[in-house]
Amino acid sequence: MADGFTPKILVLATEKCAYPGADAVGKAHLEYPSEVFILRVLSPVLFPEDYYLRAYSKGIDGIIIASCGSDCPYHGAYERLAKRIDDLTIHMKDGGLEIERMRLTAICTVCIKAFLKEIAEMEENLIKLGPVDRALAEKLRQESRQRLEFSGRYGLTGNAATAERVAL
Amino acid sequence: MSDNTHSTGQPGKEDHEEAVLKDDAEYRQQHETLKRQQAEDRERAGVPPEPKVGVYICRCGGNISDVVDVERVAQVVGMVPGVTVSKVHTFMCSDPGQHTISNDILEQGLDRVVVASCSPFLHEQTFRGAVSRGNLNPYLYEHVNIREQGSWAHKHDPEGATKLAIQMITAAVGKLHNAQPLELIKLPNHRKALVIGGGIAGMKAAAELAARGIQVILVENSERLGGRLNDLGRIYPSETLAGDLVNDLVRQVRNNPKIDILLNSKVTAVDGFIGNFKTVIEGPFGPGGGFDKRDIVVGAIIMATGYRPYVPRDGEFLYRQDRCVVTTPEYIQMMQSMDPKAKHLEYNGRTIRSVAFLHCVGSRQLDGIHEPQPDGTLNTYCSRTCCSTILHQAVALRKRFPQVQVYDFHRDIRTYGRGEEEYYTEASKAGVVFFRYNGEEPLQVERTPGASARQSNSRKQGPITITVKDMLTWGEEIAVPVDMVVLGVGMMPSHIEDLVESIKLPTGEDHFLQEVHPKLRPVEVSVNGVLIAGTAQAPMNIQETLNAAGAAAVKAAAMFAHEMVELNPFVASVDASLCCGEGLCVTQCDYEGALQLVEKEVDGQMVQRAEVNAGLCVGCGACVAVCPHRAMELNGWRLDQFEAMVDGLMAETPHADCEPQLVNLG
Ligand SMILES: Cc1cc2nc3c(=O)[nH]c(=O)nc-3n(C[C@H](O)[C@H](O)[C@H](O)COP(=O)(O)OP(=O)(O)OC[C@H]3O[C@@H](n4cnc5c(N)ncnc54)[C@H](O)[C@@H]3O)c2cc1C
Repeated sequence: MADGFTPKILVLATEKCAYPGADAVGKAHLEYPSEVFILRVLSPVLFPEDYYLRAYSKGIDGIIIASCGSDCPYHGAYERLAKRIDDLTIHMKDGGLEIERMRLTAICTVCIKAFLKEIAEMEENLIKLGPVDRALAEKLRQESRQRLEFSGRYGLTGNAATAERVAL
Repeated sequence: MSDNTHSTGQPGKEDHEEAVLKDDAEYRQQHETLKRQQAEDRERAGVPPEPKVGVYICRCGGNISDVVDVERVAQVVGMVPGVTVSKVHTFMCSDPGQHTISNDILEQGLDRVVVASCSPFLHEQTFRGAVSRGNLNPYLYEHVNIREQGSWAHKHDPEGATKLAIQMITAAVGKLHNAQPLELIKLPNHRKALVIGGGIAGMKAAAELAARGIQVILVENSERLGGRLNDLGRIYPSETLAGDLVNDLVRQVRNNPKIDILLNSKVTAVDGFIGNFKTVIEGPFGPGGGFDKRDIVVGAIIMATGYRPYVPRDGEFLYRQDRCVVTTPEYIQMMQSMDPKAKHLEYNGRTIRSVAFLHCVGSRQLDGIHEPQPDGTLNTYCSRTCCSTILHQAVALRKRFPQVQVYDFHRDIRTYGRGEEEYYTEASKAGVVFFRYNGEEPLQVERTPGASARQSNSRKQGPITITVKDMLTWGEEIAVPVDMVVLGVGMMPSHIEDLVESIKLPTGEDHFLQEVHPKLRPVEVSVNGVLIAGTAQAPMNIQETLNAAGAAAVKAAAMFAHEMVELNPFVASVDASLCCGEGLCVTQCDYEGALQLVEKEVDGQMVQRAEVNAGLCVGCGACVAVCPHRAMELNGWRLDQFEAMVDGLMAETPHADCEPQLVNLG
């Protein structure tokens, strides 16, 4: 691990819950490291696996998906998201990319403490792990794209596609 | 800096700036070469020319600039490919600040705009407006938050905050590179509202809508209007009769030609979207009062379905085990139906000489202390009206029967409303005895040892004993025998699971309907065109209920002010040139009719293609993730835009410290 390594953390924060939650932290004048990048999203259910893997391949060391959890305003979106992240972590694990780099959590509009705790924990994990293996992430991204394309051909989603391919 | 305008406009920074500019000379040269190369690459690849982005950085009167070196930010982002203008302003949201944006668009031909300032929740709309006034599509705008998530969150790390601002702006510029102009979605508007629930909230909303010239269908599933207020007597804090209030509202809705009241009716299906909800209502409208269905199209729906009081489990505080353990609604009924001339308080054959009121029954439940509901949830919330109800009733009881001893057992007392705290003072003066206990050490309600439930009325001691560790006497354990226990029950949402399912209504952890934002959009839900009124949303007293109902009605009326409804353009869209009709996206969509496969003719052949109904799509993006061809995108939040943002964040930028370095922005 390089000396003075500051992990780069991407936070995908939902517009209805986590993003205002992160605002609340600033409003309370509480602080967290400045290498935490918060992007506003409507719902993280939007992202295919390869989006996260691409982010790692570009040098993002850890990703926190700060969702609305069970308060998600979109029907079925949170359940789908959770399933997708489950699948993603399986693929990361299989591919040798540390799953501690990915965290799915729920942050509400006033969840100041929860937000800071998530950042601190991710920070701590990443310092232990060191910088992300970008080449490996890129390899996994390509595999994930292939899996997605394959799923298109056979009308399958998620892990079913992997299983099916193994079976074929 | 040939095509970059920097108006840092702040004196006293010259020394620093000179050093920066000198060192930047070489960097700029390198950057210009790079830009040229990129432009050539674009031309070769047939990509349209680089956009012209204007970046505006707000000082927020020092809120930002006391921490973030905004001049440095302007300078560095001015070198990001595509950025034509980068300026600093003391208050971007001021008229001159906004004017700068529209002016620059017109004069410098900007086709993209970024403002880095406070949270988007405050001024995103403001700046979209400024962009529109410059005749540019308002969705070619990106908002960067460098205050709440910048200067305020990194006060002790000015360098970090400055660097972060540069990175976030670079990301926004990247996002804008792939932005497309978007138009608000416009749909026809049916000027008719459906109000579900005929309690005070529903009646108030209906009356307010009708007063604004809007046709209303008021659907109540019981046989009468008024809801829970029909069961109350005198109400706090006005001390008027609940019946009078109900009658007043009933008169307002009954005599109104604009309001159709459907009793014993229910809404069995809801389909469609704002301005165009297709609903089915079942009720006794058939010949001879027989049940029949009606299809009614409405433009807006107001949910005023109210609450149901918490019903204690059998045996919870001896409920249903002792004949004199009752809930507050039952107690109010009992007092209502009592002979007004009665000299003694009697109930179920027992003379009542002492009454204990218990707060927080079915509210503020604690994990490990209280038994969860059958579905495993705890009512962790405060029901807000029970404290005032109890004190109101306690005072009335002491006044009516001064010989009856009244005890009040609470964890806390929350008489928060105007005119409600007075009941606490009054109760103390009237001789109500208060006990306070810690929620972690709950009180016990048991039969008094040796007392039989059917004991004669001549006994001295009450047959029920409440044991409490009383905090007001520093933890002394006190046993209080009483004749009657009144359980101050909380509120739970009405059983509207079917409506939640068919309208796709969001609910909170407490199962009440959930608003979009508790402060900024308190009566709207995430389903456009659906509003909430009264206790369907959360526990409220009458005043709050009527306020919320008025707000919901006015909000609905405002939606009807236009011929067409305008919807946010952030919905899914299909790139027909990429779609192969595999239909994975369709399997991900929970909103009926929002996304379908349709037959289309492509190159003379009939094929299947995905198609989005913009009026039904809510913009969650679940369909986007599964498309193998990236044919499905969410307008305004495209995947390539999110990718460009990561690239922008990770682009090496000059560090914000005083020693600028030469780096490649590529
Ligand atoms: C014991 C007690 C005492 C109280 N005393 C006071 C007081 O003194 N002062 C005060 O300010 N507040 C008091 N409150 C609070 C007060 O009861 C509420 O603020 C008020 O009743 C809320 O009105 P509402 O219209 O929101 O709901 P409700 O009164 O519950 O009315 C909802 C209506 O919707 C109907 N409905 C439900 N589901 C459907 C459906 N699916 N389709 C069609 N119709 C449906 C119901 O039949 C009902 O008519 C008290 C509350 C309790 C529990």
